[in-house]
Amino acid sequence: MKLNRFTIVALLLVMLITGTTSPSVAQDTLPRNETLYFNGQQWGSVVGWNPYSNSNNNAMAIAQQDNARVLMFETPYLYNMLDGQVYPLLADGPYTWNDSRTELTFSINPAAHWSDDTPVTAEDVAYTWATHVKYNTPTAAANVDYIADIVATDPQTVVIQAKLNDAGVTVNPLLVQAYVSTNYVVQKAWTQVLEERVGGDATALLADPAEDVVASGPYYKFFADDSKVVLIRDDNYWGQDASMWGKLPAPKYLAHTIFKDNAAGTTALQAGEVDISQQFNSNVQSFWLENGLPISTYLPEAPYGIGASLPTAFFNLNSYGLDNAVVRRAIAIAVDYPTIIANAMTNQSATFDQVPRSLMNPTAGEQALYDHDAVAELQWAGNDIETANAILDEAGIVDSDGDGWRELDGQKLTYIATCPNGWSDWQAAIEVVAAAGKEIGIDITTNFPEWSVYQTVVTKSDAPLPEGYDIFMMWSDGAGPTQPWSRIRKMLSSEFNGMTSNWNGNWGGYSNPAADELIQAIPQETDPAALKEMYTELVRIYLTDIPSFTLMYRPQSFHTVNESVWTNFPFDGDGTNPPVPPLDLMDGWSVAGLYNLVLVNP
Amino acid sequence: MKAYRNYYLKKIVWFVITLQCAFILNFILPRMMPGDPVAGIVARMAQGMSNATGVQAVYEQYTELFGTDKPMLEQFIIYVRNVFHGDFGYSISQYPRTVADVIKSSIWWTVALQFPAIIVGWILGNTLGALSAYLRKGFDNVLLPISIFFSNLPAFAMAIILLVIFGVSLKWAPTSGGYGFDMIPNNSWEFVWSVIVHYQLPFWAIVLITIGGQAIGMRSMAIYELNADYVKYARFLGVKDRKIIMYVFRNAMLPQITGLAQSIGTMVGGALFAEIIFSYPGLGSTILTAVRGGDYPLISATTLIITIMSLVAFFVLEILYGLIDPRIKAAQSE
Repeated sequence: MKLNRFTIVALLLVMLITGTTSPSVAQDTLPRNETLYFNGQQWGSVVGWNPYSNSNNNAMAIAQQDNARVLMFETPYLYNMLDGQVYPLLADGPYTWNDSRTELTFSINPAAHWSDDTPVTAEDVAYTWATHVKYNTPTAAANVDYIADIVATDPQTVVIQAKLNDAGVTVNPLLVQAYVSTNYVVQKAWTQVLEERVGGDATALLADPAEDVVASGPYYKFFADDSKVVLIRDDNYWGQDASMWGKLPAPKYLAHTIFKDNAAGTTALQAGEVDISQQFNSNVQSFWLENGLPISTYLPEAPYGIGASLPTAFFNLNSYGLDNAVVRRAIAIAVDYPTIIANAMTNQSATFDQVPRSLMNPTAGEQALYDHDAVAELQWAGNDIETANAILDEAGIVDSDGDGWRELDGQKLTYIATCPNGWSDWQAAIEVVAAAGKEIGIDITTNFPEWSVYQTVVTKSDAPLPEGYDIFMMWSDGAGPTQPWSRIRKMLSSEFNGMTSNWNGNWGGYSNPAADELIQAIPQETDPAALKEMYTELVRIYLTDIPSFTLMYRPQSFHTVNESVWTNFPFDGDGTNPPVPPLDLMDGWSVAGLYNLVLVNP
Repeated sequence: MKAYRNYYLKKIVWFVITLQCAFILNFILPRMMPGDPVAGIVARMAQGMSNATGVQAVYEQYTELFGTDKPMLEQFIIYVRNVFHGDFGYSISQYPRTVADVIKSSIWWTVALQFPAIIVGWILGNTLGALSAYLRKGFDNVLLPISIFFSNLPAFAMAIILLVIFGVSLKWAPTSGGYGFDMIPNNSWEFVWSVIVHYQLPFWAIVLITIGGQAIGMRSMAIYELNADYVKYARFLGVKDRKIIMYVFRNAMLPQITGLAQSIGTMVGGALFAEIIFSYPGLGSTILTAVRGGDYPLISATTLIITIMSLVAFFVLEILYGLIDPRIKAAQSE
C-alpha cells in the first residue's frame, strides 16, 4: 500500500505521542471481563502514590477519610456507614478502651503482610504515627491535639495513648477511636527508605511521588497517565486468608478513565465503558425506564441512594437583618425544597417530608439519635409562604414605603445569595432560595463567583464576610465514625470563628455558648440516653436559631452501576451481613462488595 | 541589502522588547486575579481534619512553600529563576508536579491534534474560498452559506453535533479519550490505530470550523483582487487567465498567511471545547483548570509558551514578507 504524505505525517505524530507517553508495561489491553471500570472519582492526572501526603490527586488509591479508601493502603478497621460499626481489617478483633478511657488497644492480624511479603506489625503502626508527627504531615496536624502517642507493646499489639486535658480526662475519645478506621498503616521499612531519600526534609517527604511504595491492600498501582489510572490485583494479597475475606476480590484490574466532565462520564456509562459511576447522573432513572439499559442504583426508586451529607445554605449573621431569627426563619420556611430536590437533584435526595430536617443525615443510625417528637413542631418542609409572611408581619417587618419589599427599622431587606459558578446543582438550589425571597417581600438576588474566589472569601473567618455573601452554600460532613457529632460541631461551634483559614464550618459566624457546651461534652458521654437528650437539644437549638438551613440530602458517594459485564453489586436488601454500603466498592466496609461480584457472562 | 538590514534589525529589536513586556505581563496578570490559590490546596488537605489549629498550620505551610505571601518583586525573582531552571517551579493545582512536567505530558496531544487540523482546515478552506471566488455561480451559492454556517457555529456546538451523530447514534467513532478505554499505551499498531480512531471526531470538529472561516476570508480577498486594476490591465494586455489567477491568489493569500501564523502561534492554548467534550487529553483543559484554581506558575508558563510561539511565528512571517513582498523593500528604500 502506498501511503500519501499526509498519512505519513499523521502516523509520525501518533508515534510521537505514543513514544512520549508509553510506559514500560507488559500488557497492552485490559481484558474486559477482568476489569472493573469507574468514573467520578479521578478528575485529573495522578500526582503520586505517597500515603503520607494529601496532595497526590490519586482518588483510586489514597483517601484517608471517614470511610477510608482501602484498595491499595489499609487501615486497622473499616467503617460501615449502614450500621455505624467498625470491622477489623489489618486489626485482629475489636479494639478496647482501658477503664479510664485514656488508652485504646488493638492487635494486628498475624496473617497480614505487605506486598513485599514481610509481616505487618504493631511497629509499622507506631512508626507511621511517629513519622506523621516528625514531619508534621496533615494527618499529624489533624490528630496531635487528641493523640499523645502510638506505641507497639509487642509485635502484634498497638496502644494509642490519648491526649489528656488538665483534669486528666481524654480530650476527645471519639476522635481517638476514629483514627483506627480513617488512617493508613504504612510500612516502617519503606518509610525509612523514603526518609533516607529525602534526607529528612519534611517538604521533600510530602512531595515524594513514592513510586516504590510498599502497600498491604488487595490492589497495587499498575498504570497512570493523563487519560486513565489502573490498579492491578495483588494475587499474593494477605486478605485471602480465612481470617479475613477468605478469597481474592473478583476483578483483576480496577480502571478509571479520566473524563473531563460529567457528560462524558455519563456517555461512557451508557455505552458500558463504566461499571460503577460515582458522579451525578441527572435523571438517573431514565437509563432503565426510557433507554432500557442494564443500569441500576442502590435503591430502585427515588431517592436512589442513601443520603449522608447535608448541603446547606448559611446565613451571614453580620448582614443587616440576618441577625434577626424571624427573618432567617421566614426565608428558610419559604424555600421550595421539593423543587430543589426535583430539579437540582433530579429526585436523588430524600424530601424533607420523608426525612424531617434536623442535624442528622437520613441513615437509620443517625435518625435514632434524637427525639423526633420533641422537635416536631420546629421542623418545616418548606414552601410555606403563608406562615413566612405571617411571622414577618407579626414581627413588624413589613413593607412600609410601598415598594413591594419589606423593611426592618426602615431599611429595606435586600440580600445576595451565592455559590460557586459552574456547580450547577447548587446554582439551581440558590435560584430557588432567591425565588422564595420574592414571594415574601425580601429582595434576594443571586451571584455566582468562580470557586477560586468563593473559597477564599468564605473560608476567611477572621473578618466579617464582604458584600455579596449574605446567603451562601457550603457542604457538611457525611457519614463517619465521629458523626453526627463532627457534622454538628462544624455547623454550630463557635471555635472556628476568627480563623484566618477556616475549612471546618460555621462559616456564617454563629455563636451560642449552650451549643458549644453540648458539642464539647458529647465526645465524653457514653450513656445512650444522655446522648440522645444532648443531640435532641442541639437539634432544638439549630431549628430555633436557624444559623443555616439544609437544602437537600446528598449521598456519601453516587453509586450507579451498569451490569453489562459485572453483576451482584450491593443494593438495598441484598442480604449481605454486615450490609455492604453503596460506596463504589472502595471506601470503608464497601470494599467487601468487590468479593461478591460475578461476571454476567463468565 | 542595507534596506533589508535595517528592516530586520528593527524587527529583532521589536521582537526583544515585546518579549520582555510579555514576560513581565505573564507574571503580573495572573497574580492580579482575585482569590487565594493556596486555599484550594488547603481544601484538599483539610479533608478529615477536625482541629482548627491543624488547618491553620497546613495553610501557613503551603503559603510559605509557594511564596504567595512574599513581596511581588521577590516572587518575580523566584519566577525568573524557575524559568531559567527549566521546570517553571511547582504547579499549585497539581503539586508536587513541576509545571514543566504537567506541560510535557499533555502538550504533544494538543500539538498533534491542533497542528494538522489547522493546516488541513486552512488548505481546504482557502482552496474552497478561491474556487468559490473564481467559479462563482452555483458553486459559490452553495459554498458561501455553508461556510457562513460553519464559521458561525460555536466550537462546542460543532463538537456536540459530531459527538451525537457519529459517536452516540451511528457509533462510527468513540465518544471520548485519546485512545481505547481498555488499552494501555504501547508501540503496537493496534494502539496506533486506536489513537487514529479516537482522533477523528476532535480533529474534524476543529477542521470544519476552520474551513468555514478560511473560505469566507479567502473568497472576499480573491474577489477584491479579481476586480483590481492590475487584473483588468493584465487582461487588456492579453495575459493568460492562469497566469493572472496565480498573481491574484498570491496577493489574496498574504492576509490568510497572517491568520495561519496566528493560529499556529496560539495553538498551544488548545482546542478547549474539543478536549472537554471528547475528554481528549491536552493542555487546553489544563490551562482552564489552572486559571480557575489560580495556579500562577502554570498560567504564567503556558501563556509564556503561547507568547513565544506567537512572537516567533510573526517574526518568521515578517522575515518572509520582507523577502516576498516587494512593497516592503520599496518602503525601506525610501
